[in-house]
Amino acid sequence: MVSSAWLIPVFPLLSFVLLLLFRPVKERAAGIGIVLSGLSFFLAAGVLFAQFQTGNTLTEATWLTIGSTDITMGLEINPLNALMLVIVTLVSFLVHIYSRGYMAEDDRMTMFFAYLGLFTFSMAGLVISPNLLQLYIFWELVGACSFLLIGFYYYKAEAKAAAKKAFIVTRVGDVGLFIGMLLLFWQVGSFEFDAIFSAVEEGAVEGTTLTLIAILVFIGAMGKSGQFPLHTWLPDAMEGPTPVSALIHAATMVAAGVYLVAAMFPLFEASPAAMTTIAVVGGITAIFAATIGLVQNDIKRVLAYSTVSQLGYMMLALGSAGYVAGVFHLMTHAFFKALLFLAAGSVIHAVHTQNIKEMGGLWKRLNVTGTLFLIGSLAISGVPLFSGFFSKDEILLAAYSDGRYVLFALGIITAFLTAFYVFRLFFLVFMGDQKRPATVTKINESPKVMLFPMVVLGVLAVVSGYVNTTWFGTFLGDWLATGPYDVVHEHGEGAWWIPWLASLLAIGGIALAWLMYAEKKISHDWLSKTMPGVHQLLFKKYYIDEAYDNSLVRGTTVFSYFWHYFDKFIVEGIVAFAVGAVRRVGKAGANVQSGQVQTYGAVAFAGLVAVMVILALTGGYFG
Amino acid sequence: MDLDTLLSYQWGGMLPEFIIIITATLLSLLDLFLPKDKDRKLLAWIGLAGIVAALLVLFTQMGDPIVTILNDTYRLDSFSKAFKLILLVGTAFVFLLSMDYSRHDIEHRGEFYYLFLTALLGAMMMASSADIITLFVGLELLSISSYILAGLKKKNMNSNEAAFKYVVNGGISTAVILFGMSYIYGFTGETNLFNIQAALQGPLVAENSFLIIFAFFLLFIGLSFKIATAPFHMWAPDVYQGAPTPVTAFLSIVSKTAGFVIILRTILTIFISAPGLAVVHDAGINTEPLLVSIQPYISVLAMLTMIIGNAIAIRQHNIKRMLAYSSVAHAGYLLVPLASLSALVFEATWFYLIAYLFMTLGAFAVVQHVAAEEKSEEIHAFSGLMKRSPLLALSMSVFLLSLAGIPLTAGFVGKYEIFMSALGTAQQHYILAAVMIGTTIISYFYYFNIMVQMFFRPGNPVLHKRRIPAGVSFVLVLCIIGTIGFGILPGIPLDFIQQNFNFNEFFAQP
Repeated sequence: MVSSAWLIPVFPLLSFVLLLLFRPVKERAAGIGIVLSGLSFFLAAGVLFAQFQTGNTLTEATWLTIGSTDITMGLEINPLNALMLVIVTLVSFLVHIYSRGYMAEDDRMTMFFAYLGLFTFSMAGLVISPNLLQLYIFWELVGACSFLLIGFYYYKAEAKAAAKKAFIVTRVGDVGLFIGMLLLFWQVGSFEFDAIFSAVEEGAVEGTTLTLIAILVFIGAMGKSGQFPLHTWLPDAMEGPTPVSALIHAATMVAAGVYLVAAMFPLFEASPAAMTTIAVVGGITAIFAATIGLVQNDIKRVLAYSTVSQLGYMMLALGSAGYVAGVFHLMTHAFFKALLFLAAGSVIHAVHTQNIKEMGGLWKRLNVTGTLFLIGSLAISGVPLFSGFFSKDEILLAAYSDGRYVLFALGIITAFLTAFYVFRLFFLVFMGDQKRPATVTKINESPKVMLFPMVVLGVLAVVSGYVNTTWFGTFLGDWLATGPYDVVHEHGEGAWWIPWLASLLAIGGIALAWLMYAEKKISHDWLSKTMPGVHQLLFKKYYIDEAYDNSLVRGTTVFSYFWHYFDKFIVEGIVAFAVGAVRRVGKAGANVQSGQVQTYGAVAFAGLVAVMVILALTGGYFG
Repeated sequence: MDLDTLLSYQWGGMLPEFIIIITATLLSLLDLFLPKDKDRKLLAWIGLAGIVAALLVLFTQMGDPIVTILNDTYRLDSFSKAFKLILLVGTAFVFLLSMDYSRHDIEHRGEFYYLFLTALLGAMMMASSADIITLFVGLELLSISSYILAGLKKKNMNSNEAAFKYVVNGGISTAVILFGMSYIYGFTGETNLFNIQAALQGPLVAENSFLIIFAFFLLFIGLSFKIATAPFHMWAPDVYQGAPTPVTAFLSIVSKTAGFVIILRTILTIFISAPGLAVVHDAGINTEPLLVSIQPYISVLAMLTMIIGNAIAIRQHNIKRMLAYSSVAHAGYLLVPLASLSALVFEATWFYLIAYLFMTLGAFAVVQHVAAEEKSEEIHAFSGLMKRSPLLALSMSVFLLSLAGIPLTAGFVGKYEIFMSALGTAQQHYILAAVMIGTTIISYFYYFNIMVQMFFRPGNPVLHKRRIPAGVSFVLVLCIIGTIGFGILPGIPLDFIQQNFNFNEFFAQP
């Protein structure tokens, strides 16, 4: 089973190639995509179970030899990437099915499924990479897929701008990762994770350099996972089709940054400064994005900010040495956030708007979607018995037992805010008076093909937390600890009050939202009335985009104008001169080529004589 | 010389030449006795069989020690085997092309085939001679056969003009070569290359080193006619354009290879230890070796050739004329290893000639077919080729990319080897390398222009749609395999040289 793991990325690639080459009609395209991504998922599940028996495996072959250095390509199966493979292929499979219904009216459905295939291939390739170079190649590929899919509705100006923005902002992070990778290669002489870890362990890399490398690699992770201050692209990425938001911008690709930090955990662990950086960036991102999420009115944007916030949580966990906590939350989040996005998509599908102010009382019309959205909301809020409760609890414990009390406090507040804004969403959309936009005549529940994937995710959003609990055992943690490197897996005991506090705050947040938006006991414009400045600041997302536009974007534009004119007048001048010179030589040569055979002989003689004369003069034979 | 001595020679070494000469004789007899209206295609097959047999024998000779026959006038060493390989393969490909060449243009098919064989025989003799007399005879055999081949389209004015210009210029070059050889003989009284080499170290020569350098340049510039480099390049465009396409391919590959063979053989054997210019430095006056003295001159000629070939090619409208200038430019690149006196001069030259063989022959195969379809050799004939026959357009693109030296093609690897040979010597030749890169960039203009025609220009109406003939498609397939295969796996031919050819044999005294 493990030996055929290489097929996992091959199936979706095949789907991409088939769809691109043969351009089948819409239904058949969806069929091909669903079947192949399904095969990929079942194989991934098989590999996961096989991994329990066979343990970690690594297969690689030499790809290039440069001097004495071999650069290899291959695949590695260890607990972390076996788990990631299952998450990626499962969510991809479900999103494929969902898109069959959601995109049914789109003319470019074939291309959509082709892109999904390419993305799944790249993402699966990313998580099985046993070396940094291969990871980097797939890292860029998923970025390219993200670009294609955000800009899928390329005729919308916002979608185009969002695609560009996502590409450029993540690129800033990628440059960091690239430099970090080169530095690492320079220091260690290998891209292999194993070689890197053993070199770090032996102390082959000097302390400051190590910290520098770790932070550069983390900058790459920040770009991909939308960490402050490189988060601005992620909310805008919601211009893409909603299934894409669920797959790429909630469950899998944005988690790649978290995965990168987890996969290179020994490197970060060796540098306390880097760990602190990760934890602080994660903590700030968590609360920062949560506050913005409080006041947004676009259903997908609220969820996007919540994704940024939850990714911040994961980083906070990893930075606090909570390896298991971070990976655990990555998994549960993938399920409940994909569920929330798909449910939001189902709502948008029904009412054709994303503005929550135009929605209301949809519970009666969309009771399946509503129930599932409620499950997702309870899970993300960390209400006990739902998956988010267990993983968030682990994160808070990790932060607390690592002694990062300020960050712990931020995490606790964020938990409260999260519960509040998610239920604000829930109450506004599903409770209250029935509203519908004027253009929509009848509101219908989504077709079964869309509901089925949501039901699967709904079940997982509840049960996936039970793989790692203090009540039934920490299976996931024990298993992850058998990874290729030693992971400190200790469960913070002693702080028995943390789960209670977290649950209390979650329920408090829900209650507050209920009072404000369902019972209307508290005026919901309380914040904008009493503190209009704060409300405006949050509504405008702390003016980060405006700040970037006025500083970086404008600065770059001015800079580029300068180089534009430099290029136009100086570089092109030189080029024109060179081209002109070549032309003149060509013309002169062609003119000498008169067709007169005498000329040809004369030129040969003249050449001979010229050589002789120069030789005689320089050789000193004429005195 | 009595019969016993004659019989004691290892004649087996000459077996490939014997096969070619027997085949050529057989073809001329058959041509004489076959009825006039009988198809001459049979002759082509016999000729091809002869070449293949010679190739097979050549392969059995690989790894054998040096063979010398007839008082060392004939010499079979690794150098001659390596280059004979290129000559034989090149001629075999030309045969495949000529089988399908328009019957209308050339009526005398028999001559067409056996003249190729006699030319090939001359080239092979040039590759394995160690005596200026046999070298000269081989050179003339090649030249005279080629003069006739260039004019074989008897009713075509261009072809006649080409033959005429070729003869006149060839005559001039022969005169210059003989003039140079006479100086060398005058100094040494020897005709054997190795004896000359020894004699050139004598005191008489040292006192008259200027005359030796003079003789060197007479020889070099005379021989540069064969490889079409400056200042003896001007015949090439007219002759290439006028000659039948298979002959053009023969001239630009087999004849050019033979030219490099004779240049390397004579220059590196005769002048390897000859004295050159006097150099004044602190310790007194020293004489530097001749090969060092002439380095700047050969470099300048190489650079001029690259610049002239590439710059004038931009202005051409006729595809064969353009390829002629391109072949001038490639000869310039091929002079670089010699000019820089790299230790890898044989390897780099051999590899580049092999790469050049595949890409140029492939290009000529496409040109021949397109010209037959469109009745035009103008570059416009390629317009919209992608729509008419995508396979042909894609193959042509592969050859053009390789000629331009784009990575993943044999042309790139060849250029890279030459480039490194210029920078790998103790005294690095930056200017030479820079000119090579600069002119390579210029060459993109005219190579890519053809691709623009093929892919982006609206197509001509199909005038004479023809199936691609078997011979042409066979050449195309082999050339594509060679061009891409050697580009991706350059280790195969490089290992082949390493294992089979020990180029040090070149310098081994008989």
